[in-house]
Amino acid sequence: MKPIPKLQYHAPTTVDEALELLADLDQAKLVAGGTDLVPLLREAACRPSHLVDLNRVPELNYIREESGLICIGATATHTQVAASPIAAKAPALVDAVSRIGSPQVRNRATITGNLCNASPAADSAPPLLVHEAELTIRSLGDTRIIPLDELFEGPKLNCLEPDEIVTEIRLPVPPGGSASSFKRIGRRKAFTLSVVSAAAYVEMDGAEIKEARLAFGSVAETPVRAPDVEALLRGEHLTDRLLEEAAEAVKSSVAPITDVRGTAEYRRDMCGVLLKRALAEAEERVR
Amino acid sequence: MNTVRIDFELNGLPTTVDVEPYINLVDMLRDHLDIKSVKKGCEQGECGACTLLLDGNPVASCLVLAPQVEGRHVTTLEGLEKNPLMVDLREAFVENGAVQCGFCTPGMLMSAYALLRDNPHPTEQEVKRGIEGNICRCTGFTKILEAILDAAERIAPE
Repeated sequence: MKPIPKLQYHAPTTVDEALELLADLDQAKLVAGGTDLVPLLREAACRPSHLVDLNRVPELNYIREESGLICIGATATHTQVAASPIAAKAPALVDAVSRIGSPQVRNRATITGNLCNASPAADSAPPLLVHEAELTIRSLGDTRIIPLDELFEGPKLNCLEPDEIVTEIRLPVPPGGSASSFKRIGRRKAFTLSVVSAAAYVEMDGAEIKEARLAFGSVAETPVRAPDVEALLRGEHLTDRLLEEAAEAVKSSVAPITDVRGTAEYRRDMCGVLLKRALAEAEERVR
Repeated sequence: MNTVRIDFELNGLPTTVDVEPYINLVDMLRDHLDIKSVKKGCEQGECGACTLLLDGNPVASCLVLAPQVEGRHVTTLEGLEKNPLMVDLREAFVENGAVQCGFCTPGMLMSAYALLRDNPHPTEQEVKRGIEGNICRCTGFTKILEAILDAAERIAPE
């Protein structure tokens, strides 16, 4: 196996220090869990001259509730989020992050890293999209907040500038009468990329769907919402017939490709299947 | 390229080593500190042969860069040689035929150790999830599952 090419390693202890390093260094790359980056370094698919490690920045490792928002710090791992009673208020997120990779991966990999890699198959993305997550992005002297969908620009392409750090993921604490669910299909159950994934969020008013949001992974160049199908659900009662209609509608709303993990046709069909499963489970969780 | 000095705790002992900052933990342990239980398999975090405990949690040491263990606790199979839970696990592996070529065994034992430490009465499903990051190409996993469930009975007779 190829060794990792030479590079310099930096371990700042504050966000400011990390931002200064990013501003000063040429060809610097951030590392947190390293579960995606280290194999890329070894394959020379990514050739930074400097690594800036965020693991020794204590102010980035938290999951807390603050003014109606669930806030997840940049270095919060999948294991931490999966075990967090605060994150449990967004059940689709916990469904997803507790099954990504393996224990060894979840103990290292961060949710923020999973998002920033901008893989269309990132399992944490659909749940955070339906929970309308935003990202806090900092650079030296500047902070901006963007909706999560703006992060994704294409497969493995994010909107970040080289001197920026995503310091936090934040999502509204879901109101009473709401719930969410995440479902995926892989080639097997454990430790595999999703062939298709789906997240559903509903707010119920008795039997009526007050609000519905749907998002899918591995069906387009980026993780995507399905606004036309959401519109079809709003104000309706969640009957078997409505589920069938939504499942049919979603097939023309997504644009998957054929690759080694599955064909476009299969993915389109499975979007319908997962949508039904996720919606039904979300509704069940409200009750 | 200069080396970096890394101070950390290895199997309970304060340890200092000077290495290039771009090598990974499994290489640092095998090549500089004579820790040979951590195996180099896929080097992509997929196979689990290099599993060890970082601050008590199982991680793939091929995905950890050497300087990332600065100030932290690393535990390998060597450090658990006389640990009662590990002794039970080891014996259960031998007696249940859970070892064939043996390459996956150290990593498998580390994952099983973390599982039983945190959950002494796991269901079969929980055992499967506990070792989902460890690949065995000999046993077909059945014997390993049986061994871990057997070890759970040994540590907590009811």
